[in-house]
Amino acid sequence: MTVVELSDLTKSYDGGVEALRGVDLRIDEGELVAIVGPSGSGKSTLLQLIGCLERPSSGEIHLRGRNISRDGDRRLSELRGRQIGFVFQQFHLVDALTAIENVALPLLYQSTRHAERRRRAAAALERVGLGHRLHHRPAELSGGERQRVAIARAIVTEPSMILADEPTGNLDSVTGAEILDIFRRLHADGATVVVITHDREVAAAMPRVIHIRDGRVENAIEAIG
Amino acid sequence: MTLRFGDVPRLGLTGMRSRPGRTVLTALGIAIGIAALVSVVGISYSSRADLLAELDRLGTNLLQVRAGQDFFGEDAELPEEAPDMVRRVGPVEQAAAVAQVSATVRRTDRISELETGAITVMTAEVDLLDTLGATVETGRWLDDGLSDTPTVVLGATAARRLGITSLTGSPLVWIGDQWFAVVGILDPVPLLGSLDSSVFIGGDAAERLLDWDGKVSTIFVRTPPKSVNAVRDVLAATVNPLAPNEVEVSRPTDALEARTAVDRELTALLLGLGGVALLVGGIGIANVMVISVLERRSEIGVRRAIGATRRHIRLQFLTEAAILASIGGVGGALLGSMVTAGYARAQDVPFSMPPGAIAGGVGAALVVGLLAGLLPAGRAARLAPAEALRL
Repeated sequence: MTVVELSDLTKSYDGGVEALRGVDLRIDEGELVAIVGPSGSGKSTLLQLIGCLERPSSGEIHLRGRNISRDGDRRLSELRGRQIGFVFQQFHLVDALTAIENVALPLLYQSTRHAERRRRAAAALERVGLGHRLHHRPAELSGGERQRVAIARAIVTEPSMILADEPTGNLDSVTGAEILDIFRRLHADGATVVVITHDREVAAAMPRVIHIRDGRVENAIEAIG
Repeated sequence: MTLRFGDVPRLGLTGMRSRPGRTVLTALGIAIGIAALVSVVGISYSSRADLLAELDRLGTNLLQVRAGQDFFGEDAELPEEAPDMVRRVGPVEQAAAVAQVSATVRRTDRISELETGAITVMTAEVDLLDTLGATVETGRWLDDGLSDTPTVVLGATAARRLGITSLTGSPLVWIGDQWFAVVGILDPVPLLGSLDSSVFIGGDAAERLLDWDGKVSTIFVRTPPKSVNAVRDVLAATVNPLAPNEVEVSRPTDALEARTAVDRELTALLLGLGGVALLVGGIGIANVMVISVLERRSEIGVRRAIGATRRHIRLQFLTEAAILASIGGVGGALLGSMVTAGYARAQDVPFSMPPGAIAGGVGAALVVGLLAGLLPAGRAARLAPAEALRL
């Protein structure tokens, strides 16, 4: 089944910058995909559109078969919360909250009960190997541990797709490799994972790589997922 | 997607958990404003409660008739039959006259006649005590049997100045050139301080022993509360039909009521100052919240990315402002009550705090907080998630 499908997608900003100039792309359920491109290639814009953070200037986005290109803020917020799990280069954890509270946060906006939130958050942290760090604050965790907390937060809602933006960009190579291992394990368990990166080494380790340059998909190297 | 109601305060508390020190300082701004408002109301209530108690004790239905001045500015006199004329006015319940006697009172005859201690010797009718509603602290008041004897009752201040605090040992005082036996000491008479520094002897004794001419200087008149104004209007003409303009009729409690009016204006002024303090506190909250929104851009971005709508973000920051202000409001109400209690204790007036002042103070803080939170919360809600995350 198709998770996300982009057809003839363009995005231009005020001032005439054309970030995307007609992108066609399909990502199926269970895929592990890298989107690669130099800075300024439009891959960040692509991330924002796939992640329902922005609306396209033209073209269509279908998420699980539904056209979401013209949806409003409330609808998009709900889609982000339920269908997409974000992982960021800077982790973006809330400093005031402990690991388990950070992970439970997405469920708060889905009116899940407090006890249920904590149960599921603890299970998600267990999955990324942080079962022993539930009550630490981000400041008390290493970079790799923080990124694991962020991954746990991304998977706690059981989304259709995990969207990772340069997830190893702030980590040393050993820790980065560990994080990529977690993504591969999630992929092996059936999750759809999209990693956006400028690092060709990271991309090379992925079953499918999509190259972006000047707002267009250059080629789509298909491989066996 | 909705929030559970119970999670709203949880959201609002996130910011405070990261910066408790800033929370305290921000709440302090509001607390000072509310404390000022609450203590101003409390203090004015407490002192007014004291005034009202005094008004009650004296009664607003007591009138005072005095000799004024004639056309030439000379001191006038009340006619001798004035007290009886007053008593004949229909609604008058009681009336009693006093007269100042030109004699001095001293502890012994060895003390110079010049050292009067500012104590006045007065004749008093037997009804005076009841008419004023005054009370005897110790001993007894003058009665018909004592009126002709060399006995004296001391006002509270006069007793203190003479150094007589009890009747043990049957104290005597020297009045004119004669010993008088002290038979009683009065409690202070509210509002009529001049009576406190007087000593009272019977009219007959005054005529016989001190050459009093029988002319009264003041008549106290007690009327039913409804008829006060009616009686007041006719008193002057009743007392001195030939020269009503030479009679001064007054109501002692009027001065007190004027005092409460002055207090009310002062209270309004202080309330205004408290309001300014509250406003400054509110601006403080708005300021801190604006900074907080700037600092927490990435938190706002990430919350939007994981499913928060604009409304959720606005609600979070409004709640935070409301909680901040409420902490300040409750703290301020407590502080204001403590200030009032301290004032009441220092001034020896009853502590009185209207519950509305507490509720109003906390409510005002909440309103100020919500208003102060509107702008920053709106800004936070309008942040585009991609921009907030700097993707």
